[in-house]
Amino acid sequence: MLIRLDLNDPRPLHEQVAEAIRRAVAEGSYAPGDRLPPARDLAAALGINANTVLRALRDLRDEGVLEFRRGRGVSVLNRPNPRSVIEEKLRSLLAEAVQYGYRHDDVIELIRELS
Amino acid sequence: MTGPRARSLKGVIDLGLRARFLSAVAGWFALVTVALAAPPLMLRERLPDPLATHWGVSGGPDGSMPFAAFLLFEVGVWAVVAGVPLVSVLVRPGQLRRRSARMGLGALLGGSGLFFLGLQAVTLSANLDAPVWWRAAPLGWGALVAILGLVAGGWLGALAARPGPDDGPEATAGVRRLSLGADQRAVWVSSVRNVPLAALGGSLLAAGTGYVVFALLGGEGILWSVAGTLAFVGLVGLIFSSVRVQVTEEGIVLFYGPLRLPRWHVPIRRVERAWSEERYPSGVGGWGIRGLPGSVTVMLRGGECLVLGYVSGGRLAISIDDAENGAALVNTLVARESTGPGAR
Repeated sequence: MLIRLDLNDPRPLHEQVAEAIRRAVAEGSYAPGDRLPPARDLAAALGINANTVLRALRDLRDEGVLEFRRGRGVSVLNRPNPRSVIEEKLRSLLAEAVQYGYRHDDVIELIRELS
Repeated sequence: MTGPRARSLKGVIDLGLRARFLSAVAGWFALVTVALAAPPLMLRERLPDPLATHWGVSGGPDGSMPFAAFLLFEVGVWAVVAGVPLVSVLVRPGQLRRRSARMGLGALLGGSGLFFLGLQAVTLSANLDAPVWWRAAPLGWGALVAILGLVAGGWLGALAARPGPDDGPEATAGVRRLSLGADQRAVWVSSVRNVPLAALGGSLLAAGTGYVVFALLGGEGILWSVAGTLAFVGLVGLIFSSVRVQVTEEGIVLFYGPLRLPRWHVPIRRVERAWSEERYPSGVGGWGIRGLPGSVTVMLRGGECLVLGYVSGGRLAISIDDAENGAALVNTLVARESTGPGAR
């Protein structure tokens, strides 16, 4: 599982990890039924606390993307809802826009101009 | 070189390789078959019929087979084992162009040939001049002869198959990288597990430990060497039945077994490039850690493998899921290392 984190992203770490896993599943690296690497392995590779990864996994379970099975670890249940993928991307875009001094209305205006 | 001439040249090389390999397999098969069949026939007068063919944990013989059945069984099993590389080459002749595949098949043939010869030498020497099969000599450490034959034959077979071309898929595969910004951090984690191997390792470990406990409690008729060997082989099987791989800026790390120990670290600076390719146990000489130092395959299931090409020319392949993304991240980190401060 490939996980990418943006070092300048102001969002909490567990949200970033959840987004990275959601993206890996959405891109097709992991199909429904596939098992995810254990949380402690993901945490060790990322150099973060295992509880942070577990919180991200729980969020994705609540979204219906992952399922937890006793004795079988965590596996993919469904591909993420396209709307939630777009929402995550928009959140990250808005956060970046704020860093450059753009208000949300400015971004909406820009999207209208481009579309 | 991709024109018709290049293709026909490749075809001629393939045909030559296949003919040479098949003739070598036929020659080795004939030699081992004669060496398996001739000594029992020559010594028939000095062997009991039936003869002892199985020894219990106490070291004494506990199973027998009629002389003719023993002869047919040995030659028959050897023919089946030698047939695996033969069928593999007939089905996928292109694999002979890869050195690692040739060496794997050579190791299988050489190792199994000397293993059967060693097994037969041990069986015949224990049965020699025994009036009846249950009076055959105990086996003891003599069984190591067959294991030594397996290791030495595997090594010699791999060496014999080494000469020749080595242009696997890596020669044509492009280098895939990720678009990773300077302020982005990426890691890749994947794992693979061979469930039958883990079950076998666990069972052997449990049996071996049980024997050791039984012997410690004063049980008689238990050979320490057998109990210890069972436990050790089981432990090794269990440890090497699963592997987790992680790729980070610090390099590539392989963690073996449920305790993630031992671990094997490959720094990024040792890697030239990485790619994903299909490899199968038949092409690398079986399951487990296969190959020789410098060109190793960690084969726990056939199919997609992550292959690391070292700067020194060596190779490390690991059968693992999502290998393409892992290879792309390794290539990205290699490119960063070569352009960053302290680049080689």
